[in-house]
Amino acid sequence: MGLFKRSRKQAVEISGLGSLLIARRLDDLRAAPVGSVVVQQKGERELVYCFHPGPYQVDLTPFAAAPEMGLRLRFVIEANPRVSQQRFDLYLFSEAGEELNLADFGEAVQGDVQHELAQGGLELPPCTSLDEWHAFRAGLNQLLYTRFGVTVDDCVPVDLGDSIDYAAALRARAAAIASAPAANVSVTAAIANVAVADASVPGLAAASAGLPAPDRAADAKALRRLFLELPVLSSGIRLLAIPPGTEIFQSHQAILQRLSLVVLSVGSMPSLEWSAPNQPLESAQQLRRIAQSQAAVVALDEGWSLLAQLQMQSPAQWPERADEADRVLANLEYHLAERRVAFAAVDAQPSERREPKL
Amino acid sequence: MTLTMLTAHALPASAECRCVLVDGRVLTITASRRPRANRADVKCAVAGAPAISERMQEVVRLARHTEPRFDSRDQVVLSMDIVPSAEERGWELAAVLADRKVRGLPPFAPATESSSAAAPDEAKLYADGWSDAWHLGRVTGQPSQAAVRAARHLASADQLFAGDDGSTAEAAQANITLISHLGALSGHADPSAAVSSARAWFPLHSGGINDTLSWVEVSVYPIDSAGVDEESTIAAPGLDLTVLNTLRQTLAAARHFDGKGLGRWRTVVRFGQPRFQGQSYQLALVMADRLARGREFVPRGRLIASGCSSAWHAGRVETVEGREPKLELILKQAASGDRVLLPQEWQAGLPEQYQNTLKARGASLACISQIGMI
Repeated sequence: MGLFKRSRKQAVEISGLGSLLIARRLDDLRAAPVGSVVVQQKGERELVYCFHPGPYQVDLTPFAAAPEMGLRLRFVIEANPRVSQQRFDLYLFSEAGEELNLADFGEAVQGDVQHELAQGGLELPPCTSLDEWHAFRAGLNQLLYTRFGVTVDDCVPVDLGDSIDYAAALRARAAAIASAPAANVSVTAAIANVAVADASVPGLAAASAGLPAPDRAADAKALRRLFLELPVLSSGIRLLAIPPGTEIFQSHQAILQRLSLVVLSVGSMPSLEWSAPNQPLESAQQLRRIAQSQAAVVALDEGWSLLAQLQMQSPAQWPERADEADRVLANLEYHLAERRVAFAAVDAQPSERREPKL
Repeated sequence: MTLTMLTAHALPASAECRCVLVDGRVLTITASRRPRANRADVKCAVAGAPAISERMQEVVRLARHTEPRFDSRDQVVLSMDIVPSAEERGWELAAVLADRKVRGLPPFAPATESSSAAAPDEAKLYADGWSDAWHLGRVTGQPSQAAVRAARHLASADQLFAGDDGSTAEAAQANITLISHLGALSGHADPSAAVSSARAWFPLHSGGINDTLSWVEVSVYPIDSAGVDEESTIAAPGLDLTVLNTLRQTLAAARHFDGKGLGRWRTVVRFGQPRFQGQSYQLALVMADRLARGREFVPRGRLIASGCSSAWHAGRVETVEGREPKLELILKQAASGDRVLLPQEWQAGLPEQYQNTLKARGASLACISQIGMI
């Protein structure tokens, strides 16, 4: 496309770049340190990042329920000469803000890996055999390249028992429960109140009393990710080598068609604060819209994982993956449709949304 | 071809879960699945009781917050055949389980063609429990007297899941499973509780028809005083002394192998079925202990294990008796996401296609000579 281009310039030091800091946004193209790579997104507002190719090392906890078992991951950022836009560049433009810390990046990778393990896209069962470990590594490498654009150099299981103490975590939990015994009761009471309010008072006047202020930035960030990443995801799926067969060809085409409609829907998404021109939207509905656009981003992440699986699959697995693709697309369409409408029933969502994924 | 059958079409169109009410009547909650088509995700229909219907919808929606996988394609319709009184809440767990079963969530994996053909009249599912925090997956309550009485007359394949507030001693019955948390259906620890409890299952062979998968639960809580004797910190209420001693030695030795296991925990071990003989529960016990202490990869479904050892301090796994019936039972009961661990010696004698059949179900098998990775 020629939209993105790499260039090298020499200039100042940025502290931590290459060790604790992976990338940083630059105001001035010339202010990039030696040894770093500069990428630039041309548009009406130019975005310039410089990043260090690594290598980096980070520890992950693949299961929230097993905090003392870890994976030590070493990765580098490599350019693939065969593609016009590097996946990591897209990651920077789409998700990195001012700067990209190694710790934040590790957390994002950990969340994605945990989600995949919970869904069964990756398998890391107890007493993993050598074959299972190799299969896991292959899936992990593909996932991290497809989703984040980083190349896994090495990954080994490690015992995190020296740095993480599960017993201490349990003690802290006990203390937290003891200090807030009324929390459960209040949640129940809140739910009961909302249910009553919904039944008796039409509209949401009663329910919107104690709501937090809508976080516009979160909504904007989610929509920006969808806007930038969905076309690239779509072209990734288009480039797949699919096995021969009319049915498979048709399902592949159907997936692409639905994806392009989703892209269209994102591009024409109504703004958060308005239900109609000059009609401000009440904050409960704004919060609902934000939750929906964030749920759509979860479906987008699942789409990247799906693409990684599709790139590695054998032809026999296509029907199974097609069902998964159908689910991901259906979820995307559903959340975007919910984001689009101005008025819908607001769930009595508890503040603690859900437990860690198991 | 077979894969599509398993994933897309083997899900049941409807599922039932029963609840024994306080007055002894049996309430049946039927869940059915149909395409969503822009309708609500959960619809509840209870004739003449809109409040209960509303509460049921709320319970099911909140309980769905604990699931990692979201699917917007289906609508689940739940209905009750009789109306419980307003004070009764034991049906809440039945509604949640019916909703999970109809969508084929673990541990209610969709039946394969062969097993559904063999047993068209499937095992009945009973439930009795309620919660104030369904969004955290907590389950409280205890089986009502009526439920306990009814459970005595259940068929051997039937199952009763009941809430567990720690006060009941009725768990001794074979087909009552007490759960304090929805994750316990797969043996997982409650991520919001201060006590970490994990379960693992082992096959109990008792002459063919009565073979069951039984569970062992290990609960650990941090201990304050260091330097105490490891074996004295392990308790197992309701077990006789010889079993208790073996169990203590097993756990202490396996923790010694672990390296970071000794002197940190106070432990309580419970069995689903405390009357049994043999040593084949040991591997399940050791694995449940590792899971509870957060030092083992967590399986997506249940962990099913059979094996013992004379050298747990070296992490060795040795063979046990009753291979054929146990293999058969595991194959019959394994569901999607389950992890099966068997002794290395059984590898050579596995029936043809055994591993592949398990894999087609979504379960995985490993024959191991040593616990821990690879």
